[in-house]
Amino acid sequence: MRLDLLCRVVVLAVAFCAAPAWAAFDLPELMGLLSKQKSGEARFTEQRFVHGLEGPLDASGTLSFEAPDKLVRRTLSPRIETMAVDGNTLTLSRGNRNRTLALDSMPELLGLVEAMRGTLTGDGTTLQRYFKSTVTGVANQWTLDLVPNDSRLAAQVRSMRITGRGGEVLGLEMEFVGGDRSVMNISPNSPPSAVPAGASRRATP
Amino acid sequence: MSLAQAGGPPGWSRRIVVLLAWLLVVALGAVVIARTQIGADLSAFLPKSPDLRQRVLIEQLQSGVASRTLMLGFEGGSVEQRAEVSRAVGKAMRESKLFDLVQNGDVSDWSEAGTWVFEHRYQLSSGVMPGQFTAEGLRDAIIDTLSMLGTPAGNAIKPLLDRDPTGETQRVAMELVPASAPRSEGGVWMSRDAPRALMIATTRAAGGDLDAQAVAIARVQAAYEAAAHGMGEAVPKLLLSGPPVFSVMSREKIKTEAIHLAVVGGIVMSVLLLLAFASPRALVIAFLPVATGVVVGTASVSLVFGSVHGLTLGFGSTLIGETVDYAIYYLIQARGAAVAGTGWQRWREVHWPTVRLGLLTSVCGFAALVFSGFPGLAQLGVFSIAGLVSAALATRYVLPVLAPDGATGMGMRRHMARLAGLLVRGLPRLRWPLAALGVAALALVLWQGGHLWRADLSAMSPVPRSAQQLDEMLRKDIGASDGGVLVVAFGDDEQAALRHTEAAAARLDALVDKGELSGYEAVTRVLPSVAAQTARQASLPDADTLRANLAEATKGLPLPASRLGPFVADVEAARKQAPVQRADLMGGPLGSVVNTLMYERPGGGWSTLVVLHPGPGFEQGRLEEALAGLPEVQVVDVGRELGGLYQRYLHEAFVQVLLGALAVVVLLGVYLRSWRRLLAVCQPLLFAVVLTLGGMALAQAALGILHLVGLLLIVAVGSNYALFFDQLRTTGRADEDTLASLMLANLTTVVSFGLIAISDIPALSSIGRVVAPGALLALLLSAAFARNVAPGKGPSPQRPR
Repeated sequence: MRLDLLCRVVVLAVAFCAAPAWAAFDLPELMGLLSKQKSGEARFTEQRFVHGLEGPLDASGTLSFEAPDKLVRRTLSPRIETMAVDGNTLTLSRGNRNRTLALDSMPELLGLVEAMRGTLTGDGTTLQRYFKSTVTGVANQWTLDLVPNDSRLAAQVRSMRITGRGGEVLGLEMEFVGGDRSVMNISPNSPPSAVPAGASRRATP
Repeated sequence: MSLAQAGGPPGWSRRIVVLLAWLLVVALGAVVIARTQIGADLSAFLPKSPDLRQRVLIEQLQSGVASRTLMLGFEGGSVEQRAEVSRAVGKAMRESKLFDLVQNGDVSDWSEAGTWVFEHRYQLSSGVMPGQFTAEGLRDAIIDTLSMLGTPAGNAIKPLLDRDPTGETQRVAMELVPASAPRSEGGVWMSRDAPRALMIATTRAAGGDLDAQAVAIARVQAAYEAAAHGMGEAVPKLLLSGPPVFSVMSREKIKTEAIHLAVVGGIVMSVLLLLAFASPRALVIAFLPVATGVVVGTASVSLVFGSVHGLTLGFGSTLIGETVDYAIYYLIQARGAAVAGTGWQRWREVHWPTVRLGLLTSVCGFAALVFSGFPGLAQLGVFSIAGLVSAALATRYVLPVLAPDGATGMGMRRHMARLAGLLVRGLPRLRWPLAALGVAALALVLWQGGHLWRADLSAMSPVPRSAQQLDEMLRKDIGASDGGVLVVAFGDDEQAALRHTEAAAARLDALVDKGELSGYEAVTRVLPSVAAQTARQASLPDADTLRANLAEATKGLPLPASRLGPFVADVEAARKQAPVQRADLMGGPLGSVVNTLMYERPGGGWSTLVVLHPGPGFEQGRLEEALAGLPEVQVVDVGRELGGLYQRYLHEAFVQVLLGALAVVVLLGVYLRSWRRLLAVCQPLLFAVVLTLGGMALAQAALGILHLVGLLLIVAVGSNYALFFDQLRTTGRADEDTLASLMLANLTTVVSFGLIAISDIPALSSIGRVVAPGALLALLLSAAFARNVAPGKGPSPQRPR
C-alpha cells in the first residue's frame, strides 16, 4: 500500500515537473525553430524615441542574413547607409566611404550584432554568452527578452526585446539607459507559409 | 730600434722606464674602462649607410617606436582577474611617467582626449570643407548625426548635439578607432584564442637607452606583483615581450656569457701554461701581455665608439687565446742563451721579425672588420687590433725586463715536443690525401654555391627561439602591425612631413574605400598640417550665413535651428582659433600618439609613420601603385628590405674579406720576397679555408657574414703558423722546443675560439665555429705541406718541387 502511494506521488511529481515542458516554450526550442532558416531577407521600419527631440526619428530599409555569420542592415531612408557584418568584420558604408572595424573590439556593437545574428541563426549559446535571456509566449507568438552581460554594453542598453512567430523574427525593441527607445518592425519578404512554425520560411529581422 | 746592450739583461734605468711606461698605459686604459658604458644594442649588427628605405627601416629599428614597444600578456585566471590585473598594471604604468603610450583597451580615461578633440574639431575633422556648411550639406550631416541617436552610441552623442550637430567630433573619433584591434572583454583587451589579457606600451626612453629600458621593465614587473598580490593560485601570470625586453635580456646574457668565457678561457689557458712551463712565475709573466691587450683593446673601443658592446667583450676571450701566444713564443724561444741574460736579444734578432710579421697579418685581417659596414664588427676589429698590437709591444718591451732568458721550467713540454715531432714527421706523408680532400671540399663548396650562404640577419640575433615565439604570439593577439609593411613620409621640417603625410593619406583613403586596405593610422588625424587646418577654417561660414543655412537645413527635422545657437557660436570661435601645433599636443592626452607616429630624423628633417591595417583585400603592389609619384613617401617592406640589406652586405663582406686576404698575401710577399716561399705559405692557408668550408657544407650549416669574417681570421691567424714553418725551413731545422711553442700557441688559439664556438650567442659562435677548426687545420696543413723541418734529423736532401 505504502509503496503504491509512493509510486503515485512520484508519478504525479514527474508529471507536474514535465507539464511546463509540454506547454511552455523555452530558449532551446525557440533556437531550434530559428536555426532551420539559413538565410533570409526582410524590410524594416524603425522608430526611435529620443528625449529632447521634437518627434520620433523614422528610418526604413532592408535586412538580410545568411548563416552562419553574415548580416546586412541597409538603411534607405532618410539617408542611404549600410552596416555589413561578416564574421568579425564590421563595415560601415556611407556615400562612397567605407569604414572597417573589428567587431569584437567594440563590445557595444558586438552585443547589438550578436543579439540579431544569434537570434537569426538560432545560436542560443552565443545569446546566453552575451545576454541573460528569457523566453515567453508560445511557438506561434514568442518574445525573447535580452539583458546584456557586458559592462560596456550594459552601460548603454538596458534591455532588448525580440518578438516573432515560429521561425520568423518580426520585431526588435531596444531600451537605452537614459530612457530613449527604438522600435523596429520587420516584415519578411516572402509571406509566411501556412505550415506550422518549424517549417515556415523565416525572415530576417 | 732599441738601445740594445752588448750583453746581459737590460739595465736598471731602462727597466724602470719601460715598466713605468707600461704601468701608465695600463692605468690609463683602466681609467677609460671604468668610465665606459657597456651596450648590447642589437642593431649594432645591422649595417649602416644603406639606401633611403633601408635607412628608414634602420632608424625605426634603432630608435623608432618599434624599439620602444613592450607587449604584455596576463595569462590564466578568470576573466575578472585578468581584467583587474590589466587595469591595475595599466594604471600604475601610466602614473609612472616612464611610458608614452599604455593601451590595454581600457577607455575609462579617454575623456580628456575626447574633450581636446571636441575643442579642435573644426581643425581636425576631414569633414570640414566648403560643401559641409551649405543648407544641403548641413541637412545631410545633421541627418547622419541624428541617425546615431536611439542607438547604443546615442548617449555619447546627445550631449554634443547642440554644439556639434554635424558630428565632426564623432568623425575624428571614428577615424581614431583602429581598423583592427584586439577583442574587448570585461573592458580590456583579450586574446581571441587564449585566456589572456593584452596590453601594449611604448617606453618614453629611447630604444638604445638600455638602463632606462631595464628600469621601465622592472616597473612593469613591480606593478604586476602589486596587482597580482593576494589573488591566490589562479593568478594570471605576466608575459612580457618586445624589443626593449630582448635588448635588456641580450645585454644580461651577453654580459654573463662574456664573463663566463673570460673566466673559463683564463682557467684553461692557465692550465695549459702550467703544464707547459710548470712555473707559476711563467704563468704570471705570460698573462701580462694578455692583460695589457684586453685593457688597451677595451679602452680603445671605448675611445673610438663611445661605448663597448657586450659582444666585443665576449670576443675578448679569443684575444686572450691569441695574445698569450706572444708570451709563449717569447718565454720558450728566449731560452737557452749562451750567456745568461742575453736570451731576449737573440729572440729579438731571430724570432721577433716573424712574430711581428704574424702580428701585421693578423692586423690586416682584423682591419677588414674595422671597415665592414657593421658597427658591431668594427668594434671587434678595433678591439682586436689594439689588443694584439699592445700585447705584442708588451711582449717585445716588458717581458725582456722581467724574464731576460725566457722561462726556465720544462713542464710537459717534452711530451708536447715529441708529439709535435711525430706530427711534423708524419703529416707530410698525408700531403697528397690532404690535397685530394681539399680538392673534394672545394668541389663541394662550389657545387653548393649560393645555397651555402643562406643564413639571414635573424641568424645573428641572440634572442632565444622561445622568446621569439612568445613575441610572435602576443603580436598576433594584439594585431600589432609587425612592421610587415610600413609607409613613411618625410619632410625637411614638421609641416612638410605633415603635408606629405596628408598626401599619402588621401591616396590611402581611396584604397580603404575600395576595400583594398582595412584602415591606417596617421599622425595627421590629430595633428593636421597648418595648411590643412587653415583650409578647414577658411571653409567655415560667418555666423549670419550659417544661421540662414541652418534655418533651411533643419526644416522638417526634429532638431530645430533655434537649439543650435551654441553651434553657431562655436563655429564663429573656430574661425579665429590658432592652428594646432605639435608642441600643443605634447603634454596632452594625445601626445603619445604624436610621439609614436612622428619623429625627428637623426640626419635632420622629420618623418611620420603611417601604420597600415592591411585586411584581406590587401596587395602590396596596389599600395605601391597608389603611392607612386609621391617621392617623399616610401613604402617599406620590412622583410624584403632586411633581406636586401643583408644580401647587399654579404656581397660587400665578400669584397672586404677578399681585400683583407689580399692585403695579408701582399704583406707576406713583401716580407718573403720569393714567389715560391709565398706560395708555400699560402698553400696551407688556402687548404685550411677550403677544408673548413667543406666541413661546414657537410654539416649543412647555413653560412652568413660572420662565418665569412671567420674565414678571414683563419687566414690572418693561420699565416702565423705557415710563417713559422717557412722560417724553420730557411733555418734548416727546428728544435723541439720551437715546435712545442708553436703547438702550444695553436692550442690556446683553438681553445679560445672553441670556447666562443659553443657560446649561446650566434654572433660569437658563428665566428668560433669557423676559426677553431680552421686554425687547427692551418697548423696541421702547414706541417703537412712543409718539408725538411723534422727535428732531430738534421737537414735532409731537398727535393725540388
